[in-house]
Amino acid sequence: MTDIVVRRRGRRSLLFSAALLLLVTGVLAGRPPVSLADDEPKPDPAGIATGDKTSAVDAAGNSFVVSEPTDKSAPDYPQKQKDYDEYQAAAAKEPLAVKLADTVGHVRIATNFAWTLNTGYLVLFMQAGFALLTCGLVRKKNAAHLMMLNFAAYVFAFLAYYAVGYAFQWGGVAINAAPTNLGGTPTLNSFLIGSGQWGFLGGKGFFLSGPAYDAGANVLMLFEVVFMETAGYIIVGAICERITFSAFILCELFVGAILYPIFGCWVWGGGWMSQWGSTLNLGHGYVDFAGSTVVHAIGGFCAMALAVILGPRIGKYRKDGKPNPFPAHNIVFVVTGTFILLFGWMGFNPGSTLGATDLRIGVVAVNTNLAACSGSAAALMFWYYMFGKPDISMACNGMLAGLVAITAPCAFVSPTSAIIIGILAGVLVCVGVLFNERVLKVDDPCGAISVHGYCGWLGAVCVGIFADGTYGAGWNGIGATTYLGQAGQGVTGLLQGDTSQFICQLMGATLCVAWAFGATYIVFSLVNAIKPMRVTPEVEMEGLDVPEFGMLGYPEDAIVSAAS
Amino acid sequence: MKRIVAIIKPHKLDEVKEHLRGVGVQGITVTEVKGFGRQKGHTELYRGAEYTVDFLPKVQLTILAPEDQVASIVEAIVQSARTGKIGDGKIFVSSVDEVIRIRTGERGKDAI
Repeated sequence: MTDIVVRRRGRRSLLFSAALLLLVTGVLAGRPPVSLADDEPKPDPAGIATGDKTSAVDAAGNSFVVSEPTDKSAPDYPQKQKDYDEYQAAAAKEPLAVKLADTVGHVRIATNFAWTLNTGYLVLFMQAGFALLTCGLVRKKNAAHLMMLNFAAYVFAFLAYYAVGYAFQWGGVAINAAPTNLGGTPTLNSFLIGSGQWGFLGGKGFFLSGPAYDAGANVLMLFEVVFMETAGYIIVGAICERITFSAFILCELFVGAILYPIFGCWVWGGGWMSQWGSTLNLGHGYVDFAGSTVVHAIGGFCAMALAVILGPRIGKYRKDGKPNPFPAHNIVFVVTGTFILLFGWMGFNPGSTLGATDLRIGVVAVNTNLAACSGSAAALMFWYYMFGKPDISMACNGMLAGLVAITAPCAFVSPTSAIIIGILAGVLVCVGVLFNERVLKVDDPCGAISVHGYCGWLGAVCVGIFADGTYGAGWNGIGATTYLGQAGQGVTGLLQGDTSQFICQLMGATLCVAWAFGATYIVFSLVNAIKPMRVTPEVEMEGLDVPEFGMLGYPEDAIVSAAS
Repeated sequence: MKRIVAIIKPHKLDEVKEHLRGVGVQGITVTEVKGFGRQKGHTELYRGAEYTVDFLPKVQLTILAPEDQVASIVEAIVQSARTGKIGDGKIFVSSVDEVIRIRTGERGKDAI
């Protein structure tokens, strides 16, 4: 009886905190926009000023508008001044062309908005895939609990990202990495910690108000919040069947507000890691196209730290240390979920161009699919060869492993390399699952650590090996004119002779592992010491559905009651 | 009155049912059960962890019959459930003290 009372009180305090959060955000959203200094760029909530002639660029990215050179001491100043004068003369002669360029620029941005939003919706649908996949892989008695974790993850992490996560990640993006495909979001222009090429934390856009109340900034928000959600979902796979709901909500707030946005700022928000090309002379700086590390390794190693803190499920290991299996309760869900994830990944990777006007999307989409298939085939064959039967759940894990590993290099490598990367990931995921289960004895019910953690790390390193230089000229501000002595040379890996990019990738990916595991382990060891994050053994053996939520995932399994 | 309990392979259920109808059986109660006999279990691998399937799925039939029908019923089950391979199952025959039909209150042979 006392047990029930305590549990109810815990629930009530959780609801109370959520209500308080909503109240605070409501107050902040309702206040008048912050007054901006005159020289500050103005946000454009209606989207009527976003996309003019300055956004009209040709296939190579050259702008229609020629801007006035400012640095008179530059060696190419005379040439630039001449180009500018010629442009001015031509523009004066043909005002209609300049007006038309305004329309072209607006349509270009509109096309990219549509592309980015729609691919974002595909990524959003991945949440359904994750829910089915992870639910299928656990035991029947925890099915409702698991679905609720997946559901609440979306809700709470979203709010945390809206409140502070977005600003931490993107608040300084216009300084070094303005998303020109979306109009450049010029209002997100300051770091809270750091400055210039050493940005550590974004500083504008809290609660999406003030400078972030802007059409382009909101498109970016929609696309990026679903990426964060992906990292948030990954952890479910490793901590399910034993974590309390309230502890889980705390994990999600941590991922959405702190863990993910900070690393995201370092790599995508124009932060210090993206600038290693200029500051440390390492290739194009740390390159992760769609998030093998920024999304997947962050989620995977956060999950690992949490799984270590929680410990294995009761009965997972025998007295002699050998693992017991807890077989998947619904393989149909597992396979369906994996296919939904593959479908969603068609938004995840190609969408990361943030624009359909970047025609590399064709290669990106095909590379993504190729790695998925070769990853699955490799995992299946590996298991078949090792153990005599192909394991369905491992074939699914293999497909996801291929997808995770190709996520960072998908835009920079050839289809052949994509196949090879998929194979490497397919084998690594099998070895990783066996290693976690038999050697480390970290209990990971759905293989999240191996799929997203290990293969995420591999994917980022593969950029430094397989990138062929055909894409990414000027990436992170490096090699806009020439790179490695060649005009138009993009991100280049070890196999094409750029060792510095390989070193950069190795450093960056490893730093990601240290950040995700370290930060999570420290924070949640403290949390666990204050209030245990794990359910009681009785609850765990009964199944978490009824003790935590009062309802079973499959109520027909219960002995018939009077009500039926 | 006798109670005949037969444990058979699940995929043989339809065939056995047809044969029992053929010898005039009016009712059968079927239960899904698990167990092992001489067939024993087998070892499988799930995501790298070995496990033994000790209890194999079987189907258990319960039939009530007057004594003069028992021989033909048992014969029908043996004929239809046999595959000749290990794990075909067993039949138990035991006596029943009383049978009551709940709807009418009939007792004994009339209630079968």
